[in-house]
Amino acid sequence: MIKTERILHLRRFRGRKVRVVREHYLRERVPCFSSLCQADCANGVKVLPGDLTHYVMPDADVVVDYLEILELKELQGIIFTQTACQALHSKGRRFYNRLRSLVKDPRFHCVQFANEFQQYSFCPREKGESQEKWQTRCVYSAAVWYYNHLAGMMNVVMITEDEEAVAQYSSLHSGVYVVTVQDYLQNFWPDLQAAQELYASISQALEEREAEDSQREFPEHLPAEVMEAGIKSGRYIQGTLSVNKHRAQSEALVQTEGSSSQAMDLSSGVLVHGGKNRNRAVHGDVVVVELLPRSEWRGRATLLTEGQGDDRSPDDGQEKPMPTVKPIPVEKSADMQRCTAEKCGHDQGRVVGVLQRNWRDYVVTFPSRDASQSQSRSCQRVLTVPWDRRIPKIRISTQQAEALQDHRVVVRLDSWESTSLYPNGHSVKVLGRAGELETEVQTILVENCIHVPPFSEAQMKEMPLSSPEKPWRVDPAEVARRRDLRDSHLVFSIDPLGCEDVDDTLSVRSLAGGTLLELGVHIADVTHFVPEGSLTDLEARTRATTYYLADRRYDMLPAVLSADLCSLLGGVDRYAMSVLWELDAGSLAVRRVWFGRTVIRSSYQLHYELAQALLNGEEVRVPELERFCPEEKDLKLAQLIQALEMLTRVSRHLRLQRDRGGALELEGVEVRAQLDKDKNITALVPRQPLEVHETVAECMIYANHWVARKIQESFPNRALLRRHPPPRLELFSQLVDTAKAMGFSVDTRTNKALADSLDRAVDPQDPMVNRLLRMMATRAMSQALYFSTGSQPQDQYYHYAGRLLMTSPTTGRRFHCSSVDHVQFKHTNVFCECEFLCYHKSHLQFHGPAAAAAAVCFSAAVSSEKFCFCLSGLALDRYTHFTSPIRRYADMVVHRLLTAALELEQGAGPAGILATNRELEELAQHINNKNWTAQRAQSASTGLFQCLFFRDRDPQTDLRCVADAIIYAIRDNGVLVFVPEYGIKGPVYLRNKEGQVVSAEAGGSCKWQGGKVRRYPSYITTTTAGGCSATFRLMSHITVRISVRSSSCHSDTLVLEVISNQPHRGSGPPASQGHRQLVQEVVRLAESAQQTAAPTHKLSRQERDFLQSRTPNLYSILEEIRELALMDLDALSQASEQTVLTVPDPLP
Amino acid sequence: MAGLELLSDQGYRLDGRKATELRKVQARMGVFAQADGSAYLEQGNTKALAVVYGPHEIRGARSRALHDRAIINCQYSMATFSTAERKRRPHGDRKSTEMSLHLKQTFEAAVLTQLYPRSQIDIYVKILQSDGGNYSVCVNAATLAVIDAGIPMRDYVCACTVGFVDETSLADLCYAEESGGVSSLALALLPRGGQIALVQMDARLHQDHLDTLIEAAMTACKGVSKVLDQVVRQHLQEGSTLRE
Repeated sequence: MIKTERILHLRRFRGRKVRVVREHYLRERVPCFSSLCQADCANGVKVLPGDLTHYVMPDADVVVDYLEILELKELQGIIFTQTACQALHSKGRRFYNRLRSLVKDPRFHCVQFANEFQQYSFCPREKGESQEKWQTRCVYSAAVWYYNHLAGMMNVVMITEDEEAVAQYSSLHSGVYVVTVQDYLQNFWPDLQAAQELYASISQALEEREAEDSQREFPEHLPAEVMEAGIKSGRYIQGTLSVNKHRAQSEALVQTEGSSSQAMDLSSGVLVHGGKNRNRAVHGDVVVVELLPRSEWRGRATLLTEGQGDDRSPDDGQEKPMPTVKPIPVEKSADMQRCTAEKCGHDQGRVVGVLQRNWRDYVVTFPSRDASQSQSRSCQRVLTVPWDRRIPKIRISTQQAEALQDHRVVVRLDSWESTSLYPNGHSVKVLGRAGELETEVQTILVENCIHVPPFSEAQMKEMPLSSPEKPWRVDPAEVARRRDLRDSHLVFSIDPLGCEDVDDTLSVRSLAGGTLLELGVHIADVTHFVPEGSLTDLEARTRATTYYLADRRYDMLPAVLSADLCSLLGGVDRYAMSVLWELDAGSLAVRRVWFGRTVIRSSYQLHYELAQALLNGEEVRVPELERFCPEEKDLKLAQLIQALEMLTRVSRHLRLQRDRGGALELEGVEVRAQLDKDKNITALVPRQPLEVHETVAECMIYANHWVARKIQESFPNRALLRRHPPPRLELFSQLVDTAKAMGFSVDTRTNKALADSLDRAVDPQDPMVNRLLRMMATRAMSQALYFSTGSQPQDQYYHYAGRLLMTSPTTGRRFHCSSVDHVQFKHTNVFCECEFLCYHKSHLQFHGPAAAAAAVCFSAAVSSEKFCFCLSGLALDRYTHFTSPIRRYADMVVHRLLTAALELEQGAGPAGILATNRELEELAQHINNKNWTAQRAQSASTGLFQCLFFRDRDPQTDLRCVADAIIYAIRDNGVLVFVPEYGIKGPVYLRNKEGQVVSAEAGGSCKWQGGKVRRYPSYITTTTAGGCSATFRLMSHITVRISVRSSSCHSDTLVLEVISNQPHRGSGPPASQGHRQLVQEVVRLAESAQQTAAPTHKLSRQERDFLQSRTPNLYSILEEIRELALMDLDALSQASEQTVLTVPDPLP
Repeated sequence: MAGLELLSDQGYRLDGRKATELRKVQARMGVFAQADGSAYLEQGNTKALAVVYGPHEIRGARSRALHDRAIINCQYSMATFSTAERKRRPHGDRKSTEMSLHLKQTFEAAVLTQLYPRSQIDIYVKILQSDGGNYSVCVNAATLAVIDAGIPMRDYVCACTVGFVDETSLADLCYAEESGGVSSLALALLPRGGQIALVQMDARLHQDHLDTLIEAAMTACKGVSKVLDQVVRQHLQEGSTLRE
């Protein structure tokens, strides 16, 4: 029973020098994790392969200092000893966790060996032996044990940095070699250039660290215990440091715990001003701050303008972005500064310590020679400028400084001593010369921590075979387990033209003599091919999403899956996950829902334009029908068109539900880049919205919603859903102000109100006004997040749109109902009836602090109509992602959950062990983060291509560089404009650094003259010394010239310059688009009139069910827009781009 | 201490044990001739001495006597040298008082007190070296001492502490684990009937995990009972060989 033997006591000294005796149990059987093992060790799944030439066992100091080299995939057969792991553990949790994930990851051939628990490999520490010596001895003895354990079949190489150890041990035992890291890399891996460069770079950085001079530049950080005690006592505050992008030198905000980055409550947090106060903390670090006394606070708003002058970095000397906080007059007196400081609502403090460094890989640019002359070239140290403005310059010791001039290089930070003004780093990888497209794209990837190596051989081996000669076929046994829809259903897909990964298809048909309608959504069954825990699955999990950049795409799954086996192409059999609804043909209420795995054969692979043309009754060629004879063709075509019409009808109905409930129609601009053969951009084209886009989206939302319901019911505390955090009200205020300036009132209290008021805010002369307002509303919405149902209280599932807002008309107080209330509402059907009544009496007010009262008040409401019941938009209670498993990992998780739910229903226990709530929550966090980085990368690459588009054109002569722009916000010294033609948002300065202002001449053309700028709520005027003045109003059109400001160290940016305060001639919305919108509008109105006229008794039980579920739609819009939107925290109130460049063909 | 990894990915604990393994238990009975019963027990590095006097007449206030059963008097103390830093007050502090009370409750559930009406049984336990699981070691030592004294019990009382880390229950916590933020539970069991004499837990734990934790504790206690049983048998054998 108890196998272990207590052998000895370990002594531990810590803190106050307490002598601690610990037991230490040794055992004979410790798994060796080698496939050569002769002794039947209890090895797990991950074992070291037996076909290597040697195993390598790094010494503790090697693991601590050179872990990065060991992380290279090329190095195989690494055995990490427990001794080394513990040494790493004492260096820092983060490093240890990196090692842990390395050992767990089956893609890396390395294992961990618990040598200290092995009876024969353990050696007790001797009296007076130093820790380093003991560790080396332990590792050596483990290496010897390993060699003997594998019966001498595999040589073991121990690598160490200790020359003495090499001398002492190398000749003791044949088969166990002891070498230094350098010798090892040179002799065993002569081809692995990357490892050797990395080694040189790290060892040089280490040497430099030792030879630091001792002049203090920063105060020392406090010891960890002091910080911990201080945080507990409230003396210090813990938070994450985020540096202001526009004032990276001077301003940083420490966001305290709880106010997460999404919440973005701008008034919380501690402002850290200046480099000294920041005390070596880098953007993203978890730091501890101490509040400064009020007398030392400095005005923030004042600094915004003052800070423009004293900037040390070379290319920041240019014009700074405009202040984004509300303008406060510039005052020099100290009193006023304090006053403004207090006004801006931030406490100010200084960093006393860093709890956790969150350093990642940074891209830096080596300075060119003339710029670096002042640097001490003799000691080979170079100050490099990071691409990310928030990161301080990094000092790098290298011998290649000459060769690397103007190159972008990936570096890692090593340390930042208190004696140094800059952090030390070492180079890891050279990306290429700055300014080249490939370099810039790689830069974007590295800066966003996107790592997309090609799929490995082992991963490809897991994939089923499919080649043009021998196409993959469905397995009859598998077909027998699935529902066969190949003959019974007309399945088709609608996607963008040229789409390769078709992951969703639709079907619709009449049942039971036309009284029932069966709507089907069929999603590619990716999880059938990618079992949980397989290498492909792990890779997909790491990537979490397919990355779409402007000119290329990095797939989440290998191409054989995403473009072939899981792509629901026309005319071939494919596995699918299906959701089938039986709808009442008349009322379209849901009768029954069926989920399950199926086999389908898509009959038509349509694209949006084709489908729309078919619906419009135009004569078009359907490629799939070409091979049929004319009669048959007509018949098939009629079937297809009928199906499309039915689909459109259903989705219009769904859409109507949401219109009635107050769905927000929000606006995002999607731009497609047209490339010519050589990948040069010839034009940027905004995407045309078609009704069929909505039809497809509607069905997908519906499927997502029903799947979410299903998995949430089956797994109440571990289903992966999506939710919306509450919106940021301060961003709404910007919208309200803008609208007010235009004479519209926007009500942001509820979704319904917001939607209605946005609908009203239409300027008949200018359709762009409404579009802009909607875009601003979109930005104010919070981004939806994945979460595990067990980690959030139920009322948080209902993203903000789904929460019930009750307003008391007498006091004006508002209440949020909690989850309990929701349940009650649903159970009593009050919820549905309220919705129904809302619809009839459009604004029935409702009163009551809690739901118990609410039910009572509801009857009161019916009788007296005195109360107001505001349903906050569409109560979409549960939503998830189900429809794109090829490009989103979350969908794969949901597929697995749904499969498990179905198995549970059939009485069988779930086949695999489902993730616990905690694991799922971690996964959800990971996916959220990856989605963010994907969006940032996408947006950065869009910006890159925009710059490329304009870079080659001379702004003075090229007509395309002049465009119409609309002013959507006013700032102190300029305006923010939106250029609809290219989807660009940006600032236009009306006063330059020399103090000159823009003045308008007759005819509108503008030029620079000395003068003043005055700002008013809805317009801004410039007055020149000569008395000329120009006025720029909100929402008025001006003409701007677009040019590119290039920067050697950072990304290029677009500059907008006003050239006339008149609209650009020759611009205007294309008439055809307007016409089509009109037609759709009319159709929609007719449909809604028909529904309104329907007698009330038709709202049967099913109808009510249906009403309940009409909720997904608001989500759709948010979702679609959000996916495209970028939310950059620092540029929050700055113009942020919402454009997406989609290109059909990825680079080969 | 929060930084310690209590359970490694390979399933080893700080001292090299697996999750369900107990520390090494060594014990001796009848270490003192003067007392009615005595025992010395080591569980890992936790060492305890238990002495039993009685059953005898009630000492002190006669009014405490119960007419139908014996009263059990327990006293728990820790030697001043038992911890890493010298302990100022070996007994009588709040912790010791509480521990004495727990011991008393445990043994009232196990000893057949109704056989000795109007009498008293004294159990004195002293921790000589403390390394986690003090309560359970005391219970185990006292069981042996009671057996040594020849006082009839329903069954051995075996105790063990268990903790919950990373969805796994760890049996028989050592001091480093106990202080490392584990929610620990102490359980005293009458192993043959599976009756629980005492459960004590003062940490937060999700209700879903309680059953698994108690299950693990009961398994651990049964392991301890086997060892104790062996000790008792060996002691008896030694005694009988001496007499021959």
